[in-house]
Amino acid sequence: MIRLFTLITAVLGLVIYLAFSFRMERSMEDSVTVPSPPPSSPFEATVGASGLVEALGENVNVASIISGVVEKVFVVVGDNVKKGDPLFQVVSSQESTALASSKKELAVREAAVEVASKELAQRQDIYDRTEKLRLKNVSSDEERAQAVLVLEQAMAQLAKAQADLGLGQSRVIEAEAALDRTLVRAPRDGEILRINIREGEYAQPFVGDSALLLGDTKRLQVRVDVDEYNAQRVRSSAAAVAYPKGDHTKSIPLRFLRFEPLVVPKKSLTGASVERVDTRVLQVIYTFERPDWPIFVGQQLEVFIDAADPVSSLSPAGK
Amino acid sequence: MTGLIRLAFLMLYRDRAKYLALVGGLAFCTFLIAQQAGVFCGVMLLTTSTLRNVGANIWVADSRTEQINSPVSMRDIEVNRVRSLPGVAWAVPIFLGVLPAKLPDGSVQNLQIVGVDSGSFVGAPKVMIEGNIQSLILPEAVIMDQVAVEKFASRGVQLRVGSRFEINDQEATVVGFCRTRRSFSGFPHAFTTYERALEWVPPQRKLLSFILVQAKAGESEQAVVAQINGLSGLRAFTTDGFRLETMRWFFRNTGIPVAFSVVVIIGAMFGLWVTGQAFFLFVHDNLRHLASMAAMGATQGRLAVMVMFQAFFAGAVGYGIGLGLTAGFGFLVLPAETPAFYLPWQLPVAVGALVAVICFFAGGLGVWKLRTVEPAMVFK
Repeated sequence: MIRLFTLITAVLGLVIYLAFSFRMERSMEDSVTVPSPPPSSPFEATVGASGLVEALGENVNVASIISGVVEKVFVVVGDNVKKGDPLFQVVSSQESTALASSKKELAVREAAVEVASKELAQRQDIYDRTEKLRLKNVSSDEERAQAVLVLEQAMAQLAKAQADLGLGQSRVIEAEAALDRTLVRAPRDGEILRINIREGEYAQPFVGDSALLLGDTKRLQVRVDVDEYNAQRVRSSAAAVAYPKGDHTKSIPLRFLRFEPLVVPKKSLTGASVERVDTRVLQVIYTFERPDWPIFVGQQLEVFIDAADPVSSLSPAGK
Repeated sequence: MTGLIRLAFLMLYRDRAKYLALVGGLAFCTFLIAQQAGVFCGVMLLTTSTLRNVGANIWVADSRTEQINSPVSMRDIEVNRVRSLPGVAWAVPIFLGVLPAKLPDGSVQNLQIVGVDSGSFVGAPKVMIEGNIQSLILPEAVIMDQVAVEKFASRGVQLRVGSRFEINDQEATVVGFCRTRRSFSGFPHAFTTYERALEWVPPQRKLLSFILVQAKAGESEQAVVAQINGLSGLRAFTTDGFRLETMRWFFRNTGIPVAFSVVVIIGAMFGLWVTGQAFFLFVHDNLRHLASMAAMGATQGRLAVMVMFQAFFAGAVGYGIGLGLTAGFGFLVLPAETPAFYLPWQLPVAVGALVAVICFFAGGLGVWKLRTVEPAMVFK
């Protein structure tokens, strides 16, 4: 009885163990699954980098020339503008008034010229008549000398009035220029990417974000940050491929444009209020044809550049 | 010989109390050692649960990182440097860190944050209970594990898809639930994208915990690991290598292995003492029977074989019962994963060997007692 019991218990024990280990091994199974494979370099030897899409020839921060309250914004974000198109108007009542009064002043000066020339004509007439009478020996030398003096005086008066008129004209041009400065125009062709100023707001030159961001979005370029350790591996002729962040099924072939000559501290673009300076990077500018799917200025790309040498002189990072 | 075995059984079963003491002692000893060793293995496995939750083939860390639970953070750009190394098919960043979450009632629950690459979701949960991984791209999205549901429920917060809470003053919205292996810290897992995890952590210069790497097809993982180690100045591991390294760290730096090995040694000593004593007494009580066998012509050698057989038989039965008890304990704790428990096949084998050693010594004690047997003892 007892031996049967212990034997059965022992055998049962082994069976339970086997069942447990089976169950346990099944719960231990792990898999390495990748929902969508990350981008892989198409090149044998590669330099991995991150890039930022920009408008070709970089974006223009359009600032106001004078400070003042914005009266009217003529464009909306996304508008395509030609060089010289008006963008926004700063309140210009003072400048318009100055122009109006300078124009009135001009009219006064024109009238003064008119008066001076009439005066001159009259003096000329007196002089002519005095001269005729003197030929007939009717008038005296003294009278003639008097007439010459008066005539010369009238000529000088006219010259002064004319000079005054010139001054008035340049005052008008000045006032017109001042008025013109209140209207900000597009410095070149492009698309309005961002508007930081609205009607009623105070526009100032050189303060914080510029009023408008203008860029040529018909053709785009990528500013690629290459880690300084990898900088010497990038050749100017090197081919490169970019993938939009978050979608690795789409790729864009890139064409080398130029190197930025200055190696700068990298900004990691997390969008956080405190941008973290990471390391120094060589910036390489690539250009590309717009793909048939949407891509936007400011978008981040993951870039692979065909490296010159497979292993290179990569030195271990000094920590 | 079969006659001798039969006699051995008869002798063993004749005294129930001693037989049960013998088997019971061995069963308890087996259970004590196997169960404690199993919990130890479980804890060791728990230290590397992140390795299994994330699931990558090659891990790259800062050169000073010693184990998976306390990564030394790196600069973001290291991902691009690793991508530039030969043999690397792809490399993605991952953030691992503990952040406090503020629940709607104001209480605080620490979360193990896993920030995975937003394009590929490498390192995202493997088993989804509700929702899907792609939802992580939604704003403020986070996927919680089953532990989170338990922990939040214990505070009276019923987590469901759409639930919101705060991490570092920023909103998080639950978009799904997954099943994970418990973390070593015991904190619930919260999966989100790498970028969002960085927004949640207080700003620091370096925040990248690990880089997950896949070797190019045809390249051995060891070779790629060696390349990364040699060229980047970073420290790369294969999954198995990282597991070993992490366990080694726990051996060197914590008292966990010592605490468990003390219990195992006590168990073995207890087993040795109880079994040895019981068996010695057993042989002692049966000296008369053994003597009569000797009188009938059994040699000392044959009697020794018989005694050893008895010891090993009792050992086998006790081992079987003990192992059954251990497995039963395992079944009990498996669903909840607390306490951590893992029985690799080597463990029962080792415990079996230990029990065999114990039985050998106990039997040896009996054999030593046999020396005194002489046929004349029948008449005592």
